[in-house]
Amino acid sequence: MPTYTDMTKCDGCGDCVDICPSDIMHIDPVYRRSYNIEPNFCWECYSCVKACPHQAIDVRGYADFAPLGHKVRVLREPEKGVISWKIRYRDGRLKEFAFPIRTTPWGSIKAAQDYEKPDLSALGSQLLAHEPTALHVSALPTIKKA
Amino acid sequence: MTAALEAAECEAAKGRRLTEVTMFTINPFAALTDLLPLLAMQVYIVLMMLAVVGGTLFDVVHKGSARFFARRREQSAAAALRQLSGGETASIAVGVIAEAAVSGEFSKWPRRLSHLLMMYGFFTYLITTVAMVFCYPAGTPTPTILPTLWTAGGLMVLAGGLWFFFFLRVNVAYDGASPFHLGRADLFIGSVLVSIAFALVWHYMQATIGNTISTRIVFGIYIFFTTLLFVSVPWSKFAHMFFKPAVRFQRRVEGANGSSDLPSPSTENFIIRS
Repeated sequence: MPTYTDMTKCDGCGDCVDICPSDIMHIDPVYRRSYNIEPNFCWECYSCVKACPHQAIDVRGYADFAPLGHKVRVLREPEKGVISWKIRYRDGRLKEFAFPIRTTPWGSIKAAQDYEKPDLSALGSQLLAHEPTALHVSALPTIKKA
Repeated sequence: MTAALEAAECEAAKGRRLTEVTMFTINPFAALTDLLPLLAMQVYIVLMMLAVVGGTLFDVVHKGSARFFARRREQSAAAALRQLSGGETASIAVGVIAEAAVSGEFSKWPRRLSHLLMMYGFFTYLITTVAMVFCYPAGTPTPTILPTLWTAGGLMVLAGGLWFFFFLRVNVAYDGASPFHLGRADLFIGSVLVSIAFALVWHYMQATIGNTISTRIVFGIYIFFTTLLFVSVPWSKFAHMFFKPAVRFQRRVEGANGSSDLPSPSTENFIIRS
């Protein structure tokens, strides 16, 4: 089910344009709000739905297999590390789902270049770069020999 | 003879004072009465106000905004889990005004700061324009604070607006459009920037070289773009200052009365590590 933007909610921040892997979220030249230029090419990854800080992007099914009347809404709460979905079926039923997305604060993950450059001698190690400290554990589990 | 000398000295001193006066302290519209009668300026301002009201009403009818809001209210009332009291509704309205006052709808600080500069700069510029034209015509001493605020308001609009126009406009920052590419979406910001830029240039020329032909040409360009700004309301996003708070109010009402189609906020916090 491809996405579409509710222009009364969109503030034209561009986050959906930035994140869309298909590059089909663009900016409307008249109202400067985002819109899906080609729903047929939507991968339905819903990255834009989840990235939108204003819950301005909704999901709309193709009329042949998901007749209009339903609604799929998303609430992103990065401060709680959760994304919730609310599905409204055509017959009026409602279902809500909450998905934890992370356990660390939003924006707290360090980029690779922010870490100290590893020593070349570490190439022979079984550990990956910055393990185990980057995993927030003191040591990785090992297999006990019989 | 002595009286004539004194008069000449007085005129010379007056001239020196005039050249010392900066654009921050003189009322630009008082000096304009050499060119335009005061009544013409006042009628122009009233006409521009009427153009904004008329343009917004036309926009409401043409785009069907009133129908949209009425339908939305009906749907919200039908799906409401509880009725809001008058106090709760008033509290929501106050919250919406407070949010609009700090441009709280923007999630990114550069856009918010740019919008705050433009919004408060524009209001300051408008209010001081009206005050100087209606309350302090030629011959009435204008408090220095008014032209100072008028100029400062214009500079704030230019600072926030140029920042937005060249660096923050979403089609430029995210869609890869050229900063010089203009579309209908730029009608409002473009006419605001050009109008205020020429207003400040005109004021500067008036304060330094007086009402010469070139000053009058710059004044003509200023008036052209100011007129464009106010009469283009149905085609520009000028009316967003009325629609945005209305939409925000409706959404907050829906959130409060339980008719919002958004999922309920999570009761659990999954951030357990730093």
